[in-house]
Amino acid sequence: MTLLRAEGLNVTARIGPLTVPALRDLNLSLAPGKVLGLVGESGAGKSMVGRAIAQMLPPGFTVSGRGLHFAGQDLLTMPAGDRRALLGRQIAFIPQEPLSALNPVRTIGSQFGEHLRRVGVADWRAAAIAALASVHLPDPAGLLERYPHQLSGGMCQRVLIAMAFASKPALVIADEPTTALDVTIQARIIGVMRELQQLHDTAVLFITHDLRLAAEVCDEIAVLYAGGVVEHGPAEVVLNEPLHPYTKCLLLSAPEIHGPRRGLYTLPEQMPGLRALAEIPGCRFAPRCPLARESCRNAPALLLLKEAHRVACPYPGEVASINAGPPAAAPEVTAGEILVDVRGLGKTFRTGTPFKRRAVAAVRDVNFTLHAGEFLGVVGESGSGKSTLARLLMGLERPTAGEIRLAGSDVSRWDGAARRTRLQTAQMVFQDPQSALNPRRRVASIVTQALEAAGVPAAMREAKAAEILADLGMPPELGSRFPNQLSGGQRQRVNIGRALCLVPKLLVADEIVSGLDVSVQAQLLALLARLREEHRFALLLISHDLAVVRYLCERVMVMQRGVVVEQGRTDEVFANPQHPYTKELLEAVPKG
Amino acid sequence: MLLPFARRLAAVGPILLVVSLLLFAALRLLPVDPAAMSMPPTATKVEIEAARQAMGLDRPVVEQYAIWLGQTLHGDFGTSIHMRRPVGGLLLETLPATIELSVAAMIVAGMLGIGGGLALFALRNRRGEAVAELTTTLMMSIPEFLWALLFIFLFGVLLSALPFTGRLDPGMTRPVVTGFLLLDALLVGRPDIYASALRHLLLPAAALGIAFAPPVMRVLRTSLVDVYQEDYIRQARLRGVGELRILLLHALKNAILPTLTLMGVQFGFLFGGSLLVEVIYAYPGMGNLMVDAVRNADLPIIQAVGLTYCVVVLAITSAVDALVLLLNPRLRA
Amino acid sequence: MIPRWARDGRVLVGLVLLAGVLAVALLAPLLAGMAPDEQDLLATLLPASWQEGGDAAHWLGTDSLGRDVFARLLYGARVALTVAAIAAPGAMIAGTLAALLAGYLGGWFDWLVGRAVDVWMSFPPVILSLILMVGLGTGTRNVIFAIMLVDWTRFCRVLRAEVLVVARRDYVTAAGLVGFGHLRILVREVFPAIVPLLITLLTLEMGIAVVVEAILSFVGLGVKPDEVAWGQMIADGRSTIYQAPFNLLAPVVAIFVTVAGFNLLGDGLRRSLDVRLLEGRG
Repeated sequence: MTLLRAEGLNVTARIGPLTVPALRDLNLSLAPGKVLGLVGESGAGKSMVGRAIAQMLPPGFTVSGRGLHFAGQDLLTMPAGDRRALLGRQIAFIPQEPLSALNPVRTIGSQFGEHLRRVGVADWRAAAIAALASVHLPDPAGLLERYPHQLSGGMCQRVLIAMAFASKPALVIADEPTTALDVTIQARIIGVMRELQQLHDTAVLFITHDLRLAAEVCDEIAVLYAGGVVEHGPAEVVLNEPLHPYTKCLLLSAPEIHGPRRGLYTLPEQMPGLRALAEIPGCRFAPRCPLARESCRNAPALLLLKEAHRVACPYPGEVASINAGPPAAAPEVTAGEILVDVRGLGKTFRTGTPFKRRAVAAVRDVNFTLHAGEFLGVVGESGSGKSTLARLLMGLERPTAGEIRLAGSDVSRWDGAARRTRLQTAQMVFQDPQSALNPRRRVASIVTQALEAAGVPAAMREAKAAEILADLGMPPELGSRFPNQLSGGQRQRVNIGRALCLVPKLLVADEIVSGLDVSVQAQLLALLARLREEHRFALLLISHDLAVVRYLCERVMVMQRGVVVEQGRTDEVFANPQHPYTKELLEAVPKG
Repeated sequence: MLLPFARRLAAVGPILLVVSLLLFAALRLLPVDPAAMSMPPTATKVEIEAARQAMGLDRPVVEQYAIWLGQTLHGDFGTSIHMRRPVGGLLLETLPATIELSVAAMIVAGMLGIGGGLALFALRNRRGEAVAELTTTLMMSIPEFLWALLFIFLFGVLLSALPFTGRLDPGMTRPVVTGFLLLDALLVGRPDIYASALRHLLLPAAALGIAFAPPVMRVLRTSLVDVYQEDYIRQARLRGVGELRILLLHALKNAILPTLTLMGVQFGFLFGGSLLVEVIYAYPGMGNLMVDAVRNADLPIIQAVGLTYCVVVLAITSAVDALVLLLNPRLRA
Repeated sequence: MIPRWARDGRVLVGLVLLAGVLAVALLAPLLAGMAPDEQDLLATLLPASWQEGGDAAHWLGTDSLGRDVFARLLYGARVALTVAAIAAPGAMIAGTLAALLAGYLGGWFDWLVGRAVDVWMSFPPVILSLILMVGLGTGTRNVIFAIMLVDWTRFCRVLRAEVLVVARRDYVTAAGLVGFGHLRILVREVFPAIVPLLITLLTLEMGIAVVVEAILSFVGLGVKPDEVAWGQMIADGRSTIYQAPFNLLAPVVAIFVTVAGFNLLGDGLRRSLDVRLLEGRG
């Protein structure tokens, strides 16, 4: 007997005159007490399922289908009042952004109390304290009087998990619950969720973009692509013996921490957006699929059965032929030519009022060198100081201790000479492509900004822009577009292009692939590897993702709370971590 | 938690100092000679010069300022050139009247503003929203003195329903206890005076209030729209909390914060606007005092009344800041 | 391709109203028929021509000195629009410069500007303008000056907040890293981001300038007694509301129409300009 069953679920969106299916003929089933993972990249529609269950779709979206059954009742035909009665009681939600999911002007206690009273708990205070204790939060009684902004992201998420399980629901829907959290916190949160799930025998719909995480947490996995399920089976089977080409490609696109080094599989372009979906007949993955053939484009996708493992592809046997190439070879590093030399670097921020000064040491006593053409990864969680380090190198912050030498010159002072040296040697690629590109400038103008500042005439700039775009693998027409007309991956390419315009010797990249889909990330990493071949620049890559660093960088530096705890060659550090924090970081990465 | 508020209060002192400096400086640019204005037209040059000396206008400006500042801090606001009475006394008579009018107007503006804001919010994405939005824009095109005139025309002349001159019916004497007429009428136990005072307060307060309500409506609506897009509202819905509860206990508590801040700023404009309303309704408050003083270049009154307006505005904005601090736990960190 | 803002209903209505007022102001000598200060002491306080006792020669009646209300109305528009056209941009320039420098440079300059705005905002604008007029003396030129001195804070406060946000954006930092100097960054990267807001504020400020001029003239501290202004007409017409109501109603309606024109225009621009140029919306 299944707890949740979706039969031919459709969610259609009205975009202007078009009617586009965001979810098309979705079939799912979830048994009580089981954990089902819904895996997909952004735009695949995985959040739509949760919203359809709650009937909280954005305006213009409608849900229909043969049935969406929960505990025997059809949610699609249920009156709104009955459905609202289920929410919070039988069906609970855990959100993606814990810090903003709690009302900032009300105490934890007042919100928890409101919820408990609604579900009919008599002594809400005692129940709340017990619930907070069950997620291992210290001082539960005191926590009730606190406000959300006084808690960390991880603590807020635990509060939300406690609230979700407090009514002992039959189903909990967790929509990317750990995406906004650091990887060590993620591990703890997952642990807490599993404890409660097993304790109350709750069924969980775990929505995530991370296939390996899903494999670790869930009993079954359903992989979504462009609004439809492409594969559904037991977790280990989907992970280790995927039968759908997309699943295989997804697995091969993501860099791994463990196992032998390999290349990344790059899928071309990206998942079709809603508008584009209307125009694809047949299998929606066909345009990007390495196994695609004529028949895929004509017939709609079939769902084949293979024991408890369903695949929406008629050629599951051929998946084994999909392979990632060899790992990107690191070009010869000219040993001896030191590009960046940092000694004893420190930065202390003074905050607070004149009455109560606080000093925060963001970076303390950092020492490292970077050779010309070398790729160095800096890993750490939030608060580790890695972003401050990047800003110090770029001259956006002034060091309070130590010195930085770029190409032999001391740039720790903030004078004209230092600025000129930096301008010629180092450029930065920013994290958020949204705020890193001026929305009022055309792409061609952005990538040649450095030339404009140097006074190069417009005609020459235009030619150079076309050259850079080609280098980035982007069609020249994109040069006349504005940033908001590009996708996230394209914007990030423009970001990189701008920094490479004057061919700097050093590129500082701050979290440039976080927040991107796995397949887009793979494209960018491949781009960086290729650009490295051509231009031979050194890269300081800041990232919280160890797998990315392992793929791209031959050396790594681990930072914790402003201090470098370990550094060395990447394969050595990851294979034999010495510092306990490094070990903790490696442990926390989902293996699947 | 008190620290940010204490800092705000501490900043008030220097602001007032600078304000008084600016006031003083601006008035010393006068093309008119207050000494000459205080003497009859037949006065001789010697007499005018003597008057100048008596008023202290022959001393250097900085000295004049220091003297004036010292006197003011001791409560001595000088003597009116024109009316030959201590300014302090004039202030005591008129300030409560202006405050009474402004408070009544603020109440009107607050009720209209919040009610209207909620109504605008309820109408969003529905038919009638465009009309409501247009109405607020048109209402904002009528400044307070025009509302005042319109109300006189409508309710005073055409309909003859309400009085539009002074604070009381002619013939009634004003009980003097606190200066706040409504309060005084109750204190001396004269309900008829109370009723008359209320009727006289109605039109000016309504005109002043309705002029400053539309921005409040707009800000409340916009704040509510912003708040409703926040994650915590969606999460509350996912917990099954009903819409009414969400509006009153979740959204409003957040949306009221920028609205209150705006109301504090609006009070500054409203308080200044009360001057015009007083002139139009012949309401004996600071506004009329100021206008007469300005026409006669009566410096002591202009300085003292100008400073008083600023003190009241600063007091109100500080109070509003304190309130927002109280209601917004994030600011108390 | 007509840009989006030009298709907004509010914008169009506002422009039509303002065009009307402008036309009236420019063509005043043609339309009025007589000079606004021509006194006819035999025909004082005439009501409108369609009312009982009215005279066809004076369409809206005459005031206490026998001057034609309609003519005065038209010439008053000149003063109103002149003040709006000069004072508002003046306040805008002062306020915007202060906001740009304060928001971009930060530090002590930002603190100074912030404190200056605080001091200014503790004065009710009406009071401050009155006091300034006392200090400066009456006349249109001084009215314009007073408005600029009072209202620069309106621009500065709002724009400074916006500049603070924009200046912290990565693309501004990137422009610096790529070699642009501060001035070019301000002009090329920061300023264009605040232009929509600026235009909206400017339009609304013009409406405010018309109101302030009317208030000052009403109190007797505005234009010189020999000039015509709507506020003055209101002051005169207040006492004669029973005999010649249009002495009061005409300038009231005129002010309303002009201010409504600016407000509708500003409102419409705010809605249509903002959305298109808002960061990151596709």
